[in-house]
Amino acid sequence: MSQSPTTDTLPPTAGDAAANAVQGIDQAAGNFSYKMDYAFDAGTGLTEDTIRYISSVKKEAPWILEFRLNALKQFRAKPMPTHWATKDLENINFDKIRYYLAQGQKPKRTWDEVPDDIKKTFERLGIPEQERKFLAGVEAQFDSEAAYSNVKDLVAKQGVIFLNSSEALREHPDLFRKFFGKVIPTGDNKFSALNSAVFSGGSFIYVPKGVKVSHPLQAYFRINAENFGQFERTLIIADEGAELTYMEGCTAPKFSTSTLHSAVVELVALKGAKIQYITVQNWANNVFNLVTKRGVAHEEAEIKWIDCNIGSRLTMKYPGVVLKGRKARGEVISIALANDGQHQDTGAKMIHAADETTSNIVAKSISVGQGRSTYRGVVHIPKHLKGCKNNTECDALLINTNSRTDTYPAITVRGDANSVQHEASVSKVSEEQIFYMQQRGLTEGQAMSLSVNGFVNDLATQFPMEYSVELKRLIDLEMEGSVG
Amino acid sequence: MSVSASPSQPVSLLGGFTPELFAAHLAGVAHLPAWWLDRKRAAYERFASLPLPKRTDEAWRFATLTGLTLDGYVRPAAVPAGRLGHVPVGVAKSGRLVFANNRLVAREQVAAALAERGVVFGTIQEALRTHGDLVKAHLLAQPSPLGSEKFTALHTALLEDGAFIYVPRGVELPAPLAIYHYAQGAQSAVFPHTLVIAEEGSSATVVDCFRSADAQRHFACGQNDLHAGHGARLTYVAAQTWSRETLSFQFNSTIARRDAAVQSLNLHLGGRQSRHESHSQLQAPGAHTEMLGLTVAHGTQEFDQRTLQIHQAPNTSSNLLYKNALLDQSKTIFSGLIVVDPDAQKTDAYQGNRNLMLSDDAEANSLPGLEIQANDVRCTHGATSSRIDPEQEFYLRTRGIRQADADELLTFGFFEEVLSKLASEPLHDAFRDLIKAKFRAAPRPADHQH
Amino acid sequence: MSQLDIKDLHVSIGEKAIVKGLTLTVRSGEVHAIMGPNGTGKSTLAKAVAGHPSYTITSGDVLLDGRSILVMEPDERARAGLFLAFQYPSEIPGVSIANFLRAAVQARMGEGEELDAAAYYKRLYSKMDLLKMDRKFTSRAINDGFSGGEKKRCEILQMAMLEPKFALMDETDSGLDIDALRIVADGVNALRSTNLGVLMITHYQRLLGYIVPDHVHVMWDGRIVKSGDKSLALELEAKGYDWVKTELVPA
Repeated sequence: MSQSPTTDTLPPTAGDAAANAVQGIDQAAGNFSYKMDYAFDAGTGLTEDTIRYISSVKKEAPWILEFRLNALKQFRAKPMPTHWATKDLENINFDKIRYYLAQGQKPKRTWDEVPDDIKKTFERLGIPEQERKFLAGVEAQFDSEAAYSNVKDLVAKQGVIFLNSSEALREHPDLFRKFFGKVIPTGDNKFSALNSAVFSGGSFIYVPKGVKVSHPLQAYFRINAENFGQFERTLIIADEGAELTYMEGCTAPKFSTSTLHSAVVELVALKGAKIQYITVQNWANNVFNLVTKRGVAHEEAEIKWIDCNIGSRLTMKYPGVVLKGRKARGEVISIALANDGQHQDTGAKMIHAADETTSNIVAKSISVGQGRSTYRGVVHIPKHLKGCKNNTECDALLINTNSRTDTYPAITVRGDANSVQHEASVSKVSEEQIFYMQQRGLTEGQAMSLSVNGFVNDLATQFPMEYSVELKRLIDLEMEGSVG
Repeated sequence: MSVSASPSQPVSLLGGFTPELFAAHLAGVAHLPAWWLDRKRAAYERFASLPLPKRTDEAWRFATLTGLTLDGYVRPAAVPAGRLGHVPVGVAKSGRLVFANNRLVAREQVAAALAERGVVFGTIQEALRTHGDLVKAHLLAQPSPLGSEKFTALHTALLEDGAFIYVPRGVELPAPLAIYHYAQGAQSAVFPHTLVIAEEGSSATVVDCFRSADAQRHFACGQNDLHAGHGARLTYVAAQTWSRETLSFQFNSTIARRDAAVQSLNLHLGGRQSRHESHSQLQAPGAHTEMLGLTVAHGTQEFDQRTLQIHQAPNTSSNLLYKNALLDQSKTIFSGLIVVDPDAQKTDAYQGNRNLMLSDDAEANSLPGLEIQANDVRCTHGATSSRIDPEQEFYLRTRGIRQADADELLTFGFFEEVLSKLASEPLHDAFRDLIKAKFRAAPRPADHQH
Repeated sequence: MSQLDIKDLHVSIGEKAIVKGLTLTVRSGEVHAIMGPNGTGKSTLAKAVAGHPSYTITSGDVLLDGRSILVMEPDERARAGLFLAFQYPSEIPGVSIANFLRAAVQARMGEGEELDAAAYYKRLYSKMDLLKMDRKFTSRAINDGFSGGEKKRCEILQMAMLEPKFALMDETDSGLDIDALRIVADGVNALRSTNLGVLMITHYQRLLGYIVPDHVHVMWDGRIVKSGDKSLALELEAKGYDWVKTELVPA
């Protein structure tokens, strides 16, 4: 069935939800797990041996092991960033996490080859169906390694490489190494160091010069095991004039203990390239989601992050763009929804490093119940640049009397030839609006959902249609029971 | 006496403010009440034990810490009478106090009629004896949440004298009270203080002027405590024109009770490195504070401004506007936070920071923050940093005004938005003249005729 | 007697050509109207003649009494006698109209010459009376929070005070209700004299019912495609801009 995201004015019924093409990013649908026998298990806790084990299982080149061991040192040396971030980080027990779990099989190119339980998992999440419908390629990661990875022939023939990063390290070591860790150095922060020590899986994409991939490439991340830490590593390179859209989704079952997801994502947009990176994060609300994402935009290149955070217990994620070439453009569109027991600590970083670069940040957050949403931003325009512009807008919507929102931007501008503008507002849902809709016969809950959807509508329309429909439905789900 | 800094402590923690200096200071104020001396001793201990700000301290983000050394400063000698060359600010006033190097050197009492109605306009040393309970309840009684606890402790420890203003219930002062705080002599350390207690329904305007009597290097570490009772209206304006070599700290604590309205305007012109912290507590419904700041930074001056607006009760409002004009290689930091406590519904809060970039070598940092824990609020902030608007400049030039004149008009227009909020026309004019004087001393805002 | 000659003027914004060879002469005492649909280059012409830095004159010339003004800064052009009444006047918070106008009048005086404040205010107030403006207006910041009508009256007030040789009036009627339009038109008519040439840019004939032009030009795609007397405006109003497209534009 077809759905239009913008003209749909009533909350969908349960029937609609079941029929939705991308129920894969619905956390409720993801709340199940299978008992797995893992052929490779690095055990609990993190030592040098854990890392040697991971590296040997993956049959890695010596430089990678060295890279990992060095990262472990940096991870240990770095303090938790609790002098500015939430103390909730102290509740992560690094000794109780399992850092690597895999069945030791190569990713399959067809769904038929994927082991039954894993296949069932992704079928329940609707991934194969999405692939048929509108994707140029899919990679599906199950715990530490990809279970399925395929790119449509047409795209492969254009020279596009789309692999999981473990494979790519083996098959394209030179290309990988040239860009790997260059955008986000190991020691960027404690969690980028952790990822650099134990990374596994994630996507590697290379789009050759001038190739414009017309359909999105998608990765799907699934956590199945309890006490597990997922540390995927994604590296995307768009060569000169290339264009692509990448989307990622995620789910995990709701275990009684907390789970850690800590990814590093590096994007490189060479001259005139365009990368659009879309995330709909809907982890179960006991997942610590601590992700470092950054891109480098060369001359006249454009990087756009569309980052939508609905799940997790604590998310800390500030997608960034280093505007390295003249006339590069960076954009972050951020939507966050924090419900009871959740803290969405999200934002953006824009580092201007060349003349006439422009950046734009639009962040909207919704806090429901005792949920807390936080915006953090960095905008940096150093000395002697000319004609740089940043525009930042942050709007927070508070639903209940005890909801919380914070805004912490940091803006540095040098010189008189640039301009920055930052605006933020906090408001609640308009009582007039709710009353108006109730007078037309909607329940308060329905009216609230509509109103919240209206608040994010201008951003949601920038998503591919399938995702914006899904986002709307997720918001409806979250708004259930928020009134009264 | 109990004060002892352990010998292993690095000197830089204390700088010139050694136990010996503190002991000499205490000996000079030994006649004051014991509770006050005890508080000073505790404060000195705290000062001595607290570390200097570190690069990783969020409260000092972007600040240049290398300039914060306390070394070499001394307890200054008294300034001989008649040696000050005092020039009044040019505003009709109800009374005047002049301090130099922490001591009162001249005064002009309030009219007898006001004194009879209970208005007190005197020194803190006098008030410690005559209004001990009031002083105890209000002098330095609020927390120092903005990062400078070490320096506020130093202020408490070494505060020698300052202004004490008490406006009783229902009394309205017809004209401003003016207080001048001078520093004189090489390495002089001064600790200016102004304590204002405005009781229910009263109204007052207080002008603080911070000045150097010479071009020497000074250390200034001042505080003003403002307390506005039920329905009181209090205006506090300060003009900071310390010497270009001065390291300056100025702390403000404002308390607004039910239906009180407090307006404060801080003009920052002087100093080598100046930190200003302003902490405003809206404690009861109907309270309103307006916090205004104007800075002209030139040369290599650094102005670091940290503000906190805490809404602790429902139906309160606050409005903050800090404007900085940056010339040469100057640097400014504005870090503001609006906090709305969980029960403070119907809060209306605004925070604005506007930086006018008049040089390609200047640096403006903005950290406008919000922490909101109530939903029925209206809270917004905005921060901009940009040069003179080219469209406005073009508009003026199409009227025949030369570029440099157009830029000057626009630069003063930029300040006027803040100055025009002062109800008192003479104060408005006096402050504009101070800014003009600084611009005359500095190069033109834009001398790039092409 | 002065003369403003626009000669085969070509203007671009960035790479895009907007005015594509426009020639027009206005003499003192004359009122010319340029009419044309939106996007045809009318406002670009006005801004370019006034010297806006975003507009590049790629060829042609603008002469004031035989002297090219293209090398002049915007303020020099203004002092030479050119006035632009903006379609969207800038709002300038913090700068009062009194200070602004005084600076503008002062800029026209010789070095060391002092403004006679009493005479200046007398003149200012008489012009304000003419435009039915409240005296309190002068203490307000330029256009800051003004209504559409107030902004346009403020433009005419400046024109009255600065006594230009030539006034370029860009869509002065836009955003005005009928009363405001009449006040503005009365103001302009009062300023009409043998010493002033006016170039009015307008989309509608409406304004020309109040300020009757001597010459009317129809502009299309960066050029003047037809010129005539005031009856041309009525003809254009009756036939619409489609007429211009089908009848007047060479295929």
